[in-house]
Amino acid sequence: MNPTSPFSLCLAAIVVLSLLGMPIGHAMIAGSVLYLYMAGLDMGTAAEQLINGMNGSFLLLAIPLFILAAEFMNAGSIMDRLLRFCNALVGRYRGGLAHVNVVQSIIFAGMSGSALADAASSGKVMQSLMTRDGRYPASFAAALTAVSSVIGPIIPPSIPMVLYALISDTSIGYLFLGGVIPGLLLGAVQMALIAFNAKRRNFPVEPPIPVREWPRITWQAFPALLMPVILLGCLYSGITTPTEAAAVAAAYALAVSAILYRSVTWADIYGTLVRSSRITISIGMLIAGALVFNYVITVENIPRTVAALLKTWELSPMMFLLVANVILLILGCFLEGTTILLVILPVMLPTAHALGIDPVHFGVVAVVNIMIGLVTPPYGLLLFMMVRIADISLTELVKEVLPFLGVMILALGLITFIPELVLFLPKLMGYKG
Amino acid sequence: MRLRKAGAWLRRRAENVVAALFAVMFVAFILQIVFRYFFNFPVGWTTELTLICWLWMVLWGSAFVLRESEEIRFDLIYSAVSPRTRRAMGVVMGVALVVLYAMSLPAAIRYVSFMKVEKSSYLHIRLDYLYSIYVIFAVAIIVRYAWMVWQLSRGRDPAASDGTEVASGL
Repeated sequence: MNPTSPFSLCLAAIVVLSLLGMPIGHAMIAGSVLYLYMAGLDMGTAAEQLINGMNGSFLLLAIPLFILAAEFMNAGSIMDRLLRFCNALVGRYRGGLAHVNVVQSIIFAGMSGSALADAASSGKVMQSLMTRDGRYPASFAAALTAVSSVIGPIIPPSIPMVLYALISDTSIGYLFLGGVIPGLLLGAVQMALIAFNAKRRNFPVEPPIPVREWPRITWQAFPALLMPVILLGCLYSGITTPTEAAAVAAAYALAVSAILYRSVTWADIYGTLVRSSRITISIGMLIAGALVFNYVITVENIPRTVAALLKTWELSPMMFLLVANVILLILGCFLEGTTILLVILPVMLPTAHALGIDPVHFGVVAVVNIMIGLVTPPYGLLLFMMVRIADISLTELVKEVLPFLGVMILALGLITFIPELVLFLPKLMGYKG
Repeated sequence: MRLRKAGAWLRRRAENVVAALFAVMFVAFILQIVFRYFFNFPVGWTTELTLICWLWMVLWGSAFVLRESEEIRFDLIYSAVSPRTRRAMGVVMGVALVVLYAMSLPAAIRYVSFMKVEKSSYLHIRLDYLYSIYVIFAVAIIVRYAWMVWQLSRGRDPAASDGTEVASGL
């Protein structure tokens, strides 16, 4: 590649500006403008690509609606009820609260499409519950909240999967289904590691909940448990489009909080709207930047060039998946996940396609990878959030995260090399592959 | 002081706009579903309306609502260096952003005003009106970062971001 070609300069500009601390969305727009100028193209193309890209994709609208659904759920007193339910379920085992943390994340994953939303909403409560009377070390509790939140976007709904569906033209319904088993698998390996540690570190046991209280506790958490059923029901019965299903989920969450729990005021609704839009705006700006930059990538024919290059290496599909995993994991240590999804994956997709790798399988593997990137040091948004919430040092946190990282990468290996773990449910529902 | 108060007031009004756009989008979706399944009467204008709300929400919000600390950025280096270096980095980055956005602004205005020849398919609104948000956005970003560069060059320390405020949606 010629180092002074417009594309090289564009790429260099984006990297340098991002390193200098420019918001990544703006850096991608600015770099692309530089490209258009250097290549002698119309600079108005940046505006055109951004507007048409944002205005042309109905699927993207699922993102704000999923965010809204999760925020409405949180506005009610759902988290307390959920935690009581999880405690009744797994609290009586050794390391009970640690298991509660994971199970809570699995259930919350069915309501929310965002890992950061999970950590933000349950992080504080879990932290104070787990560290009360010195039951668990603060760094262990924080590490556990961080790694269990990773499950959020792997079990549907999922914001990163919406983005993947967008760049790869894959059915969002099948992607969602494909995430279910890998999400549960991640939860299982985490709970296995907790059980293994519980004896050795002498983790406490919670007093068992009498069986006669179970129906009441389950009933109270029932509306939250119903959410994923409604969402998936809407999707697979064909009653609604995926985007509409997200709207139904948000409406349901609002109704549950307002009617059943009677805990939501107009001021709450307004606050929820503003909070949700802040999240929407910051991710939306990144998408906007990626839309403009992807135009440059397409003009320069980068994905085909990469595919041609990789072809000369004569990789087998399995080798390619292995290489892709390693690349994504390394990038995940340094880059923000949405950027990887929107910029790096489109470059990999044509090669995956040429090698005959199933797009749903590849998508789920990539999303699991990117989610693990949220807890890999030095740059992991979940780590930063938990350092803040738990008021501990990054080093202490990372030390407790590492064993979990190990078992999660093991699970990632299983998901990568046994495609059926991903494809079993989609095929059951009629996916042709 | 008075300037800061006015700024805070304006930001709250900008938040009102964003919340309203979000609410309209949400309600339009519900109407779309209700019309189609309960009245067997599919409507197209809701699709158009929701997409417009989304475009406006992101660009308007990015220009007027989002704080610097909420932006998704790579701040590993940015937050590790001394305030002095950080200030220098901020100035270079801010100048680059202002120059590149300003360079593309005339062409962006040309594109948006050219779209006056078309109208949206359901609501029949002229597209140059609908797309004007891009010009508003670009101008606001230029002004905002020029202001930031001015502040930094006068010695104000840029705030390092707080990990809990970044909201990437992942």
